[in-house]
Amino acid sequence: MRELADKLLRMDRRVIFVLIALATLIPLLRPIGFPIRISPEVKRIYDHIESLPAGSVFVLSLDFDPASKPELYPMAVALLNHAFKRDLRVVGLTLWVTGTGMAEKVVSGIASEYGKRRGVDYTFLGYSPGGTNVIINMGQDLAATFPTDHYGVRTADLPVMQGVTSLRQVDYVVSLAAGTPGVESWYVYGKEKYGFELGGGVTAVIAPGLYPFLDTGQINGLIGGLRGAAEYETLIGMKGKAVAGMDAQSATHFIIIGLILLCNLFYFLTPGTRIRSFGSAQNSPGSPREAGR
Amino acid sequence: MASSVLLGAWVAAGLTLCMFSFLYKDNPFFRFGEHLYVGISMGYTIVRIYYDVMVKSLYTPVMQEGKWWFLIAAILGLLVLTRFIPKISWLSRISFAVIVGFGSGVAIPRIISSNILQQVQGTLKPILNAGQSSFGMAQFNALLILVGVVTVLIYFFFSIEHKGPIRVAARIGIYFLMINFGAGFGYTVMARMSLLIGRFDDLILFASRDYGYASLVLLGMIAFGLFMWERSSTASFGPDQDPRAAVSDARDEHPPQ
Amino acid sequence: MILFLRRTFPLILTFLFGVAGALQYYIPHPVSEAALTEVSVWLRIILGFAMILGIASLCHVHYAKIRIRAAGWGYSLVVYVSMLATVVIGLWSRGQEEGTGFGWIYTYALLALQGTMFSMLGFFVASAAFRAFRARSKEAAILLVAAVLMMFGRVPLGEYLIPAAGPIAGWLLNVLNTAARRGIIIGISLGGIATSIKIILGIERSYLGGRD
Repeated sequence: MRELADKLLRMDRRVIFVLIALATLIPLLRPIGFPIRISPEVKRIYDHIESLPAGSVFVLSLDFDPASKPELYPMAVALLNHAFKRDLRVVGLTLWVTGTGMAEKVVSGIASEYGKRRGVDYTFLGYSPGGTNVIINMGQDLAATFPTDHYGVRTADLPVMQGVTSLRQVDYVVSLAAGTPGVESWYVYGKEKYGFELGGGVTAVIAPGLYPFLDTGQINGLIGGLRGAAEYETLIGMKGKAVAGMDAQSATHFIIIGLILLCNLFYFLTPGTRIRSFGSAQNSPGSPREAGR
Repeated sequence: MASSVLLGAWVAAGLTLCMFSFLYKDNPFFRFGEHLYVGISMGYTIVRIYYDVMVKSLYTPVMQEGKWWFLIAAILGLLVLTRFIPKISWLSRISFAVIVGFGSGVAIPRIISSNILQQVQGTLKPILNAGQSSFGMAQFNALLILVGVVTVLIYFFFSIEHKGPIRVAARIGIYFLMINFGAGFGYTVMARMSLLIGRFDDLILFASRDYGYASLVLLGMIAFGLFMWERSSTASFGPDQDPRAAVSDARDEHPPQ
Repeated sequence: MILFLRRTFPLILTFLFGVAGALQYYIPHPVSEAALTEVSVWLRIILGFAMILGIASLCHVHYAKIRIRAAGWGYSLVVYVSMLATVVIGLWSRGQEEGTGFGWIYTYALLALQGTMFSMLGFFVASAAFRAFRARSKEAAILLVAAVLMMFGRVPLGEYLIPAAGPIAGWLLNVLNTAARRGIIIGISLGGIATSIKIILGIERSYLGGRD
């Protein structure tokens, strides 16, 4: 048994790669469609957009690059669909240089589906370097930050920007972020001083880190990962890529849970294995040796 | 379907499969894709900097709006580039001093307010309000959060010896941290799998008849290419030798001048 | 004089801009607000130039490889050719991506390459989890249980099999995870503020580089 356990623990990792590939591929080809439960933090963003009157200014900051597209692009699609359905004035921008093309495509693509006019109903401001400085600048003077939009038209002349000179006049900002600059930058350098309402959509890697800010109300809602995007798609009655990916997500998670349980089963089958406590008394943090440094 | 879209699908599928070939082992297809990615992303960044910084943020305000004082920023920007000239590289310190000084100064009050005061307020406020209603789940959660925050902070305070009650508190802090790391790991798995699902989605799309079965044809071609590469590597270096080890040996014998 | 410009003048600049940046937050006067606007515009322009540093550095590394014909120099040639081609096509398209060659390169090359590069981590996470994720200690066991609960409770299949899994995962996130993260955030912020003060006062000088 021990030899079998050893052998299995040492198996070629390409076997695991094949398992994961099949767990991803099969549900995408033959979806089942398990129901998706809506979490309160995603519902809060939905409810807030629902509460905004037509003509409200909605800033969507697409702060991600192609590496995070599978998680955040479906969120952008869902949010833009919702915003355009509610006839909000949409202002898109990005703080990540390699995300510019994707951001422009999603904003103008969804806008054209709703017959929205560029410059009148929506605009895409483009990219500007500086991360937090862009946010501070926008809070002070939007036209100074983006003198022209992505297409070369003067920002101050755009009908969609009428009455909006800085972030203080914006009704809602949602940052879809894969890291820094991202949601944290928007509330530390933006909401903190300029007082707009802020929501966040993030990759699953950084989602757990934003729950303290959700708890204090610094962000009014949080869409985390592909699961969050699927929940938002369900809320607006749309079956997009996020919902389609949920079965594959379930399958891969269960494969990994199975692998972890197997690995631990084999590990405990090995004689002499016991659970011990973290670190000895001599070398643990705060020990006399540590405190003496 | 437009020919540019069809060609694009074949290129995207091919490049995706080239990158995935690394899962078999490091090979020329992957290396080609990797270096192509570096080159294209550098080129893209250069174009974006030119249009979004030089033209939009500098040229337009200076030449068309008369904001000549932006040239001071341009000069400071050029000073950054003196880093490449060893004799005058010290000039770049002026620009970095402005960037780092302003960034540090601006961050202090904002971080104190958002990350410290508001977080402490968020921890204590539910506890202070708890007395106004009966003890339920919300109050229990608030108490747990308070205990967690305090014990985690005690754990990270290494200037005092962790013994007695401090040691107990630090151990509780570690348990909270382990839960946080576990949640982080679970979500990281979710994130990585999501990225994989996204790529497979595109590969499935490009495997359809509309796109000329691009993914399937290219998968076959790359698999054949890997087979031929493996065969030629084995023929050149023998079945027991790693061709990369042989290259490194050759480099050691004849180091570049 | 040169020594003053090389060593002391940057430190004075850091101090002045640092103090001004910090005090500005508490001075809502229009002059203070206008100064903040102007300086942040300047910084965006300077940081745009700074991005050129990274690109130039990469170019130098690959150029050196091509020049000395180091192992794998052909791949460095791929870097240069693809970079130049992208720049030429980008300038020809005037930086616009809609319906242009520049947009085509972005959509069908850059998106595919960058997306795939990071998606491969999914395979390696699974392999690493199988080989290394063992409950060797009490703490590791807690980590493992939390991770498994999260993976189980945040997918539709898990919630379908055990309906309570979703709310339990949610409680873990909103309460226990929040507590630990909040402690970490406060600790990191205190450390960050201490470092910022050290930079402004000239105690921390590593950002200047060089031996002076």
